[in-house]
Amino acid sequence: MIEATGLTKRYGDKTAVDSVSFTVQPGTVTGFLGPNGAGKSTTMRMIVGFDRPTAGTVTVNGKPYFAHHAPLTEVGVLLDAKSVHPGRSAYQHLQAMAATHGIGNRRVREVIEMTGLEQVAKKRVGGFSLGMGQRLGIATALLGDPATLILDEPINGLDPEGVRWVRTMARHMADEGRTVFISSHLMSEMAQTADHLLVIGRGRIITAGPIHEVIATATTPSVRVVTPDVKELADVLSAHGATVRTLAAMELEVSDLPSARIGELAARHQLTLHELTPLDASLEDAYLSLTHDQVEYHTEAVAGAL
Amino acid sequence: MVTTVADQQPIVASSARRLRFHRILVSEWIKLWSLRSTYWLVLGTIVAMVMIAVVLGAMSVTGMEGGGPGGRAALEMGYSFAQLTVAVLGVLIITGEYTTGTIRPTFAAVPTRLPVLLAKATLVGGMSFVLGILGVGVAYAISSPLFDQATAADLSDPAVWRIFWGTGLYLAAVAMFGLAIGAVIRNTAGAVTAVLGTPFILSTVWQLLMTDTNWFTTTYPYLPFVAGEQIILPAATADEMQLLAPWSGFGVFMIYIVVAYLAAAVLLRRKDA
Repeated sequence: MIEATGLTKRYGDKTAVDSVSFTVQPGTVTGFLGPNGAGKSTTMRMIVGFDRPTAGTVTVNGKPYFAHHAPLTEVGVLLDAKSVHPGRSAYQHLQAMAATHGIGNRRVREVIEMTGLEQVAKKRVGGFSLGMGQRLGIATALLGDPATLILDEPINGLDPEGVRWVRTMARHMADEGRTVFISSHLMSEMAQTADHLLVIGRGRIITAGPIHEVIATATTPSVRVVTPDVKELADVLSAHGATVRTLAAMELEVSDLPSARIGELAARHQLTLHELTPLDASLEDAYLSLTHDQVEYHTEAVAGAL
Repeated sequence: MVTTVADQQPIVASSARRLRFHRILVSEWIKLWSLRSTYWLVLGTIVAMVMIAVVLGAMSVTGMEGGGPGGRAALEMGYSFAQLTVAVLGVLIITGEYTTGTIRPTFAAVPTRLPVLLAKATLVGGMSFVLGILGVGVAYAISSPLFDQATAADLSDPAVWRIFWGTGLYLAAVAMFGLAIGAVIRNTAGAVTAVLGTPFILSTVWQLLMTDTNWFTTTYPYLPFVAGEQIILPAATADEMQLLAPWSGFGVFMIYIVVAYLAAAVLLRRKDA
């Protein structure tokens, strides 16, 4: 379990993380979602004490990370891949990290197998690809068989097989009752991996909860209607409290009114319907609507440049 | 805003695997010997010490005016180049971690950080101590045939013995100094410049500015490396320059080192990794 209270990190006059409080519960894969520069990595770095919080506290299983007698068995952490001396082999790196806790070579070989590094384990890390570096980072995180796993953008640089492996592993670890906390700026990735979400933007928590609740609260379900009687139908639906948006010549997007009700109203007023499609709100929509104002680096409209 | 995400039984961490200082030492040992630079620096240290002894021995053979340097001087000078390589060794053992990012997994394993500094100091200090004695020993074995009976180093002389363990102590101190400076500066080039610049620039500047009785003359013996190397050098050279006695000199050097370690410890705990 990870508990943060009023956690804040300022660099000079720039506030990277602004008084965030949250709890990450065991037995779940919690996705830490936010645009680039939102404060995900900084928050994770504070959890394991790489960065000192400017204010606030964060504990792992009830204690600050540094107060644990066997930190590697409490938390396995992956923060930027390839934080390994390029002149050392993967095996030597893992062996050295394991040695601090009296973890033997058997476990080192185990994590090498788990992460599929057997072929390159004795090679110097300097020649590793991004994906292999990522696997080594995950292997390092798994060394202590930790109760909590913190992975910052773990799928960066991984091939599709590796991505699926990370997902399965995260799920498996959570099912064993461990705490799994994974950050990503890709909502589609989170939709497939996480069952809980913590959404951060500009250093503040925007929302948190089970993934379907986050989607439900952040989006309004809508219905796509195709009709030749656009004007008439729009008037009728608006009169009954719906919000209507014209998408194309014969196409409307209707929210605040269920599809059954739209059909009934069209029938009563003898208006023709060609299509009536309830649109599922996606995590993508939820994410965009949540973080729209929180994006640190807005992309300028492409057309403007032409 | 406190948000709770779900409820389940937490997994309890196993207890047999836990952090111990001797385990951190083992970890640092593995890290040290898994890098090629370590082997080069160790080899370089020994070779430098032997070469100086051999060159001075050769000068003695060719019969310089006044007999040339004796066997004892040949051993004494061994530290002059060796101090450079062990200083680099001390710097690299910590800056190598900062520049490559290895410091993060290291601190993830040892989040209190200070035991890492202590383990590295123990290792690099112990290693340089052994290297110093070994280097002087090998230099003696190889160079002594070059000297005749009168000029050879006399192993029954306690001052000659002091060269052996004095070089060990001095190199250990220099390597540990390098480590502390490396921990403060965190950058290889900067730390090497700072550590190696100290003996040369400082003492050169002082020597240029010294007159018979000014402030520079009074303080010169207290410069870090000038004070420290007295543990190796014979007390006789103290005649002209009023240098410190072997142990007082080494004590002064230790004060610098302790100060450097205090700074390193504070920064290590406070600064973000």
